[in-house]
Amino acid sequence: MPQGGAAGGTTPPGTVFAVRAFGPGLPVPGSDGELIVHSAELVVRVQGTTWRAPLRELALREAGFGGPGIELAWGKGEERRALQILDPARANALLAHPAILALPQYARLRRRQRRHGFGRGLGWTAVGVFLALPLLALVAFVLSADRLAGWVVGRLPTAVETKFGRASFDRMKPTLELRDSGPAFEAVSALGARLTAGSRYHYAFHVAKDATLNAYALPGGIVVVHTGLIAATKRPEELAGVLAHEVQHVELRHSTKSVVKELGLSALWAFVTGSYGDSLPARAAREMTGLKFSRDAETEADRQGFAALVKADIDPSGMPAFFATMEKTVGDAPAAFLSSHPLSGERKAALERERAAVGSRTFHALPGAAAWPPAP
Amino acid sequence: MAMDVIDYEIFGDDIQYVEVELDPGEAAIGEAGAMMMMQDGIEMDTVFGDGSPQQAGLFGKLMGAGKRLLTGESLFTTIFHNEGSGKRRVAFAAPYPGHIVPIGLADIGGTLICQKDSFLCAARGVSLGIAFNRKLGVGLFGGEGFIMQKLDGDGMVFVHAGGTLAVRDLKPGETLRVDTGCVVGLQPSVNFDIQYVGKLKSALFSGEGVFFATLTGPGRVWIQSLPLSRLANRILLSAPAAGGRQVGEGSLLGSLGSLIDGDNR
Repeated sequence: MPQGGAAGGTTPPGTVFAVRAFGPGLPVPGSDGELIVHSAELVVRVQGTTWRAPLRELALREAGFGGPGIELAWGKGEERRALQILDPARANALLAHPAILALPQYARLRRRQRRHGFGRGLGWTAVGVFLALPLLALVAFVLSADRLAGWVVGRLPTAVETKFGRASFDRMKPTLELRDSGPAFEAVSALGARLTAGSRYHYAFHVAKDATLNAYALPGGIVVVHTGLIAATKRPEELAGVLAHEVQHVELRHSTKSVVKELGLSALWAFVTGSYGDSLPARAAREMTGLKFSRDAETEADRQGFAALVKADIDPSGMPAFFATMEKTVGDAPAAFLSSHPLSGERKAALERERAAVGSRTFHALPGAAAWPPAP
Repeated sequence: MAMDVIDYEIFGDDIQYVEVELDPGEAAIGEAGAMMMMQDGIEMDTVFGDGSPQQAGLFGKLMGAGKRLLTGESLFTTIFHNEGSGKRRVAFAAPYPGHIVPIGLADIGGTLICQKDSFLCAARGVSLGIAFNRKLGVGLFGGEGFIMQKLDGDGMVFVHAGGTLAVRDLKPGETLRVDTGCVVGLQPSVNFDIQYVGKLKSALFSGEGVFFATLTGPGRVWIQSLPLSRLANRILLSAPAAGGRQVGEGSLLGSLGSLIDGDNR
């Protein structure tokens, strides 16, 4: 759109403009001509002829594809003639000519341009908002994903969770070397049963042969403990501490929540982007193994696990003690448990406070301490 | 670089190809995949962008290539140059039924705005750019989208469009109303806009849509009778495999008959 007034003010009166001329006697695609604007009329020399037209009869409009140029037209019917300058800089120069600036048509053109500019801005804004809507929905969902996931999970029957946990476990089974017999399994099961007495979930504890120090819980009550972790515990209370923590992830439905959140987000992402790259079940299974909870969830599991230990008459000092052992990294075994359960300063402080609250209460010693750790 | 003056000949009726004659040292650029046949002595060279001389430097080349992506063309252009000693010919074929129109850019003031994807081939030196349609209504409802192709230079270009092509010369102020989607090309002096069909009844039931494209002179415009998408739609609708009805075999046995005559594949 030509803007009023070229950089140096007005264009000098005698300027010759190169124009494309259209009209009777000329080929339809137009011919190149020269235009001189006088105070009351314009003179065009094109193809050896001369056109003259009074300025007050001119019609001014934007020209060119997308409207960067200017058109001057006059005459009626067969006698209609038009001049165009499509180069924006040269069009602006013509519009800055004092004789053109003084025309009432020029003021009308400017008003029309302003109106169109406003309408165009409005239109583009509408288009932009329309295109941005799915993105805004995505952002809104991400921001409230935790709350939404909690709401959905709260309405999910435990049977569904159990089914989901079983299905995920069946998918993982081929990669696990389960050791579901022997002293280690007995010890884990016995401790687990003590910690989960009266729960609405039916727990199943498993021991997997794996040198990494790790333990994890699937929704619905499946808890897997690696042999490496059992070997690293110094007394039954420490193992009980780990189990209490994992059991609370199930009780508080942390993994279900994070899976629901992940599924919801990926479904929404697929909806927004239109690409369904990864199948959702495959994603869910992968999510199970690499579960990472928020720091809040970990702290919550610590606190509730601590309370569960106290309730089950197990010395809760095993929990912070084992976390401390883990931090010092036992041998060359990678402490995977720590990488998925990062021990933050706040968590440690919270555990200390819990222990202080328990005070000097004494607990019955757990059986099996003499032959600890149990062999797988 | 001066434009190469090329001689050409168009063959065929409704599915055409154009044969371009190149003097020694002359070259033509073709849309990737448009080449049909070429004689000995013609060398093919693929360049990034459109191969016009102003695209010096990496940045210019990237810009040119990006523009081509926007117009739906390939990132690369193929240059065919005659390295032989005599006249040599190379042919470019249209990708779907329609007509090839030769347009001399010098005759129409040096610039042609055309439908994206309609470019077939040109003399070397023609630059392929984009023309962005700033009128929101035209972009949304004009049938050509926001982006059209701009061919600049003074050589010969060949564009291709569906069905039969009409060339209309518009005098200053003369307006032609066109079905949306049928505008193939226009001189930049022509004003391209849209217009409401006028009556609600027509908008809903005339089958012409809610808007016409309007082209206001001065200048020359090219209109196609059959946009490819319309043809494709009809073909898809009547494809028996896609639920269309099979007609024309007229067998009493019905589907059994087509089983026997082997047409039921």
